[in-house]
Amino acid sequence: MKISNLRTRPSQTRALGATATIVVGVGLSFIIPAFTAHTVSLWVIYGLLALSFTFVWGHGGIFSLGQAAFFGLGGYAYGVAGIDLAPTTHETMSALLVAAVVGAGAAALLGYFVIYGGIRGVFVAVITIAATLALLTFFTSTGDPAYHIGAAMLGGDNGMVGVPSLTIPGLLSTSNGTLATVVVVAVIVWFAIAELLHRPFGRILAGTRENEFRTQLLGYDVRGRTLAAFVVGGLIAGLAGGLYAGWGNFISPQVFSLQQASLVAIWALVGGRRSLIGAFIGAFAVQGLSELLGQLTSGAVIPLVLGVILLLLVLFLPNGVLPTIVASVLGLVRQKGTAQPSVQNYVEPDPDAAFGRAPSRGLKVTAKAVSMRFGGLSVLRGIDLEVPANAVRTLIGPNGAGKSTFFNLMIGRYRPTAGEIYLGDVRVTRLRPEKRARLGLGIKTQVPSIYSELTVAENVWIAAWAVSRRTQEASRMSAHVLAGLGLTHRAAELAGALSHGELQWLEIGMVIAREPRVVLLDEPTAGMTRAETRRYVDLVAVLARSATVIVVEHDMEFVRELEAQVTMFHDGTVFAEGLMDDLRHDDRILDVYLGRADSA
Amino acid sequence: MKVDQFIVIMVSLLSSVSLLVIVSLGLALAFGMMGVINMAHGEFLMLGAYFTITAVNAGIVLPVAILISAIAMGGLGMVIERIVLRQLYGRIWATMLATWGLSLLIVGVVQLVFGTSSNGIPTPLSTIHLGGYMLSQYSLVLIALAGVLIATTYLVFARTPYGTMARAAASLPEMAAAVGINVSRVNMITFGIASALAGLGGGLLAPLSGVSPTFGQGYIGDAFMTVVVGGASPLLGASTASLLLGGIYAGVSNIVSPVAGTLALLLVSMLVLRFLPTGLTGLWRKARQ
Repeated sequence: MKISNLRTRPSQTRALGATATIVVGVGLSFIIPAFTAHTVSLWVIYGLLALSFTFVWGHGGIFSLGQAAFFGLGGYAYGVAGIDLAPTTHETMSALLVAAVVGAGAAALLGYFVIYGGIRGVFVAVITIAATLALLTFFTSTGDPAYHIGAAMLGGDNGMVGVPSLTIPGLLSTSNGTLATVVVVAVIVWFAIAELLHRPFGRILAGTRENEFRTQLLGYDVRGRTLAAFVVGGLIAGLAGGLYAGWGNFISPQVFSLQQASLVAIWALVGGRRSLIGAFIGAFAVQGLSELLGQLTSGAVIPLVLGVILLLLVLFLPNGVLPTIVASVLGLVRQKGTAQPSVQNYVEPDPDAAFGRAPSRGLKVTAKAVSMRFGGLSVLRGIDLEVPANAVRTLIGPNGAGKSTFFNLMIGRYRPTAGEIYLGDVRVTRLRPEKRARLGLGIKTQVPSIYSELTVAENVWIAAWAVSRRTQEASRMSAHVLAGLGLTHRAAELAGALSHGELQWLEIGMVIAREPRVVLLDEPTAGMTRAETRRYVDLVAVLARSATVIVVEHDMEFVRELEAQVTMFHDGTVFAEGLMDDLRHDDRILDVYLGRADSA
Repeated sequence: MKVDQFIVIMVSLLSSVSLLVIVSLGLALAFGMMGVINMAHGEFLMLGAYFTITAVNAGIVLPVAILISAIAMGGLGMVIERIVLRQLYGRIWATMLATWGLSLLIVGVVQLVFGTSSNGIPTPLSTIHLGGYMLSQYSLVLIALAGVLIATTYLVFARTPYGTMARAAASLPEMAAAVGINVSRVNMITFGIASALAGLGGGLLAPLSGVSPTFGQGYIGDAFMTVVVGGASPLLGASTASLLLGGIYAGVSNIVSPVAGTLALLLVSMLVLRFLPTGLTGLWRKARQ
């Protein structure tokens, strides 16, 4: 079975490509005229900046408009370090390092507030751009000579001058040498990021981008990983800023301007928001065009043209120019001989094969006097529930009885207003969702929560890796689970393409792959056929051999077939508890929920 | 502290607050009611300022010139909603990038038409002498107008049929459409009002400083901060955030320096968001529970 190219060792092809690019790039750097080398250096530097945005946004899902800020800070850091250190050390590679560190540090600081503050979506974009503009104001108002670090004057509106060129001892600090240095740095960064994305970190980053809450429910610390990605982005932008300051011997507050920040978005959109190489192509194309416009006209039309390009891109080619071209070329090729996934090779799910081997290690689940209020609304009022290890428990009750809220308290989406929850002997009442998942809690949500933009195999793989943390082991586990669920033939397809029933099985597969000790199933048979429901009864029995299972269900037939202890919620309290056959004879329950045959 | 000094400090504080209200109200409205972050908001301010200057130079008195700018920007906003924003609802990054493109486009056009140099009109009204201090009457007018703007916007959205429809369309577009509200028209009007507020703001700011194509950039950062710190409720958010941030900026600027004021503003914003990711409005919602 194909689980796409995850590796523990660097890709040889990519390493070869990187080496070849370095050799050719460095060679060319010294052949072309110095003036051309000067121009091209800037394009490569901008490509690196675009790459940082592509990585953070396209792969990390953080719509950060602050890459220009990290770039600018990196530039100033290089300037300060270069002016103060280079006279002694006669090189500027240490200054470049300082630039990268400052970029990463600024990203860590801003990212901490943004990511750990729970700021999401558009607020991230606005706060990052606002921070960039605040830096613009700050650096613009540092004209007073009092603003200096060592011998380096910040210079206010006019910027910092006299920044030393990129210098490596033994190599000349010419324009051609600068281009060579820039190319080497860019290729190394590109290679490192591409490798990173092909490792578990990259795949989990993709998972977090696609469905943050599911990733958390699988036991991953999404905040830490997102922050790590943001810091890497800041590091690359800072590095690019350092190269920029060394390239131009100058850095001014204009790098923090809205125009500069918008360029980053334009390069990335031209090259495609996910493509690493596209970032460079986008920067080359846009800067090349600007250069051309500057020669043909007074240059005043450049912002106008760029604005129109950005507007048209968003309206008509939101996937980027390059990816659209590539997709249409591929589309032409593919039209000859498309193989549709065949319905014939449908395989019955076999829960026993998928999960039968897991050892029996269910945890007792205890809720003590759990209450939950939303504003003035009391949804749960003192729920006491105890489910023994490896037992199956069904929760029933009318809509609004508090079943879903109870599950949300169990997984840690909310914290109860009062009461305690235990998994085994561990009190989890205030634990974050990922910590509970690591204790062995898994949930199949009501609406399947999966990664629709990732392949079926990748979905299960991310779940499996959360436990073993070993690539090979996770691949073996997910192959095994997929085979058991009859999804092997669809492993390489995007999960979003699955049918409703298959999605339900896929999500259960993701729960299973974690080898859970407590499984919560929220209305698992909704929308299933009778036959599928019956298979689900088998699944619950298999799950119960190794885990404690709690099922919320409205399908009374299914509840009866489970033959498990039933707890009925009503109005935020436990209304009744017992076997289904006993509850069916309880007049109160018939009135509240089940209804009577003769009243229908 | 003497009475005159106290009054001067209060006026400078309220003046910072009123500036934030004036530059951020339109942005807050478009975000709160339509989920649109208008990256061209600064350029809308700048256009409003240019319209006002052009009108004043053509012999129109300032208040009328400002009103004309507001109306012109309102019309332009509606056109932009029709042509651009309409295609992008629900894709928030796409709206941001598209309006960003618009922002570059406007800067480009203004540079071609008016040139890059700074234009200006004198600050109207004179100054009052208060003890040993001078107070600009115009800044007093701005403080009063900021209050009037908030009150008027509140009345429009709370008390008129359009306001009710707009709030319905903002909270549940499908449901609003289902009960017969023309959501697309309501959105067009809302963005028109937001743009008119930006035009008005630009017009009011025009006499305070020179107006150049980068005019908007000086205000847009503060406007963004105000909106994120304020949160989703446009009026309450914008006004409370303006009070907080304006107060801090003016306080730190007076005591230390304007640069420190800018940094304090950024720092306080980040601290607020660290603990209230949905802004000050989120605090208000929490308190109500």
